[in-house]
Amino acid sequence: MQHNGFSMAAVGITIVFTALVTLSLIISQLHKLLTFWDNRAAWKQKIFRMFGPQEEEAGPAPHVYHVPGSPESARQFCLLIQATGEPFSLPGLLRTAEACGIRHPYAKASRLIEEHLIIPDQKGFYVWNHAEYDRPAKRSR
Amino acid sequence: MIGLRNGADSTLMEMFLDFFANTGFALADYRNFIMLAIGVLFIYLGIAKHYEPLLLVPIGFGILLGNIPVFKGLGLGIYESNSVLHYLYFGVTSGVYPPLIFMGIGAMTDFSTLLARPVLMLLGAAAQAGIFLTFLGALALGFAPNEAASIGIIGGADGPTAIFLTAKLARELIGPIAVAAYSYMALVPVIQPPIMRLLTTRQERLIRMEEPRQVSKRAKLIFPIIAVLLCCFIAPAALPLLGLLFLGNLLKEAVVTERLAQAARTSIIDSVTILLGMTVGASTQADVFLTGKSIGIFILGALSFCVATAAGLLFAKLMNLFLRTKINPLLGAAGVSAVPDSARVVQMVGQAEDSTNFLLMHAMAPNVCGVIGSAVGAGILWSFMMG
Repeated sequence: MQHNGFSMAAVGITIVFTALVTLSLIISQLHKLLTFWDNRAAWKQKIFRMFGPQEEEAGPAPHVYHVPGSPESARQFCLLIQATGEPFSLPGLLRTAEACGIRHPYAKASRLIEEHLIIPDQKGFYVWNHAEYDRPAKRSR
Repeated sequence: MIGLRNGADSTLMEMFLDFFANTGFALADYRNFIMLAIGVLFIYLGIAKHYEPLLLVPIGFGILLGNIPVFKGLGLGIYESNSVLHYLYFGVTSGVYPPLIFMGIGAMTDFSTLLARPVLMLLGAAAQAGIFLTFLGALALGFAPNEAASIGIIGGADGPTAIFLTAKLARELIGPIAVAAYSYMALVPVIQPPIMRLLTTRQERLIRMEEPRQVSKRAKLIFPIIAVLLCCFIAPAALPLLGLLFLGNLLKEAVVTERLAQAARTSIIDSVTILLGMTVGASTQADVFLTGKSIGIFILGALSFCVATAAGLLFAKLMNLFLRTKINPLLGAAGVSAVPDSARVVQMVGQAEDSTNFLLMHAMAPNVCGVIGSAVGAGILWSFMMG
């Protein structure tokens, strides 16, 4: 045999392990990276405070959502509504959200109504509040 | 007048005999009947026993089609270049069908259990040891390296991967290898439990798993992109399989492509499964299939499957020596990528000891990782043989 079977088997299993171990390491840190990304405004401020000029600190603090997962929920529902069209019925939206595997759609939709991101159109349906969603203060989404 | 009638009678008789000589009854030999019986058995197991019916019924029917004796030259047999079956078989020999099936699998698979406990990926990697040990076994038995690689991949317990690699390396073995791979996948509930009980203690089987953490939708969305880039940079030959697996998963997770995901997990995978099953079945013509090599493939395939299961279990026990929170070693058996059958078997064996212990969700993590691992393994073997 031209190739050595033992070396091929040893190298093969090593590569499989390397690929999967590296992947598992990356995905085990993924949620930390995402949290960091979500809080990048706060990190930026922290860095400015450490190294930047003093007047940078005087600016008004940007509005940041304190509810975990809220910006992500807003983004998910915004995409969903773009796909389904407006105006939409709330039960229909919840059904689609459930079908798409969004976790806790009722709680998230309720939160978005409280935040005035989903608003009634006064005709029995709902629409997405683009003005509220696009407000500069909330661009951290 | 009488002479003319006698002449006409003899011509009629000759025509009848000619016709009879070309029917299946005259052309058949005992091997055709053995294969027809196997085809009927597959259909019976699929319909009556519910063993992987979506695969065994088309394969079984394909075996019937492939083993009806036909005369050569009319373009009827699957190995005749101008036959309809041959054109359909092109999807197998060119390696088109398996990646399309992977896309459907990707569109069905929820990787959240894997993302919640990435350490369980190691079990999926360990189970791939079966592939490489069987590869060595096949070499020792005198198979050529390309054939040995194709036989070893049966231990990955992944029909499309086995067919894909065999189509690339040892096309003449597609029939026996596909039938062996799918047969053992169907027999997961029979093959795995004795090995699981043999290699674990009752205390180990009773271990309860911690509730996995919640995984954000964004993490699930990013995962297929990271995974395809990483795995295909490490093993580029796995690209056709993993590329479409993760494309299917991205279509599922990106809410905006729900229509495409729906097509991938229903109409596309179903159509391809029918064509793949039927043509693979039809490729098992008696003269090609009933050989000493096929028997060797079946024995090594079974061995490969058992070794893969044992490797996963033993690796889980090894991990328990180092982990603070112990994992149930039964999960190791789900490292073979028969999705979701081996995860179901883990649940079944776990519940036989404690009916309130639910392992299915946890077992899905090594199970889907097994799919990735076996595709990477196939890519590696392919690149070794091409090199």
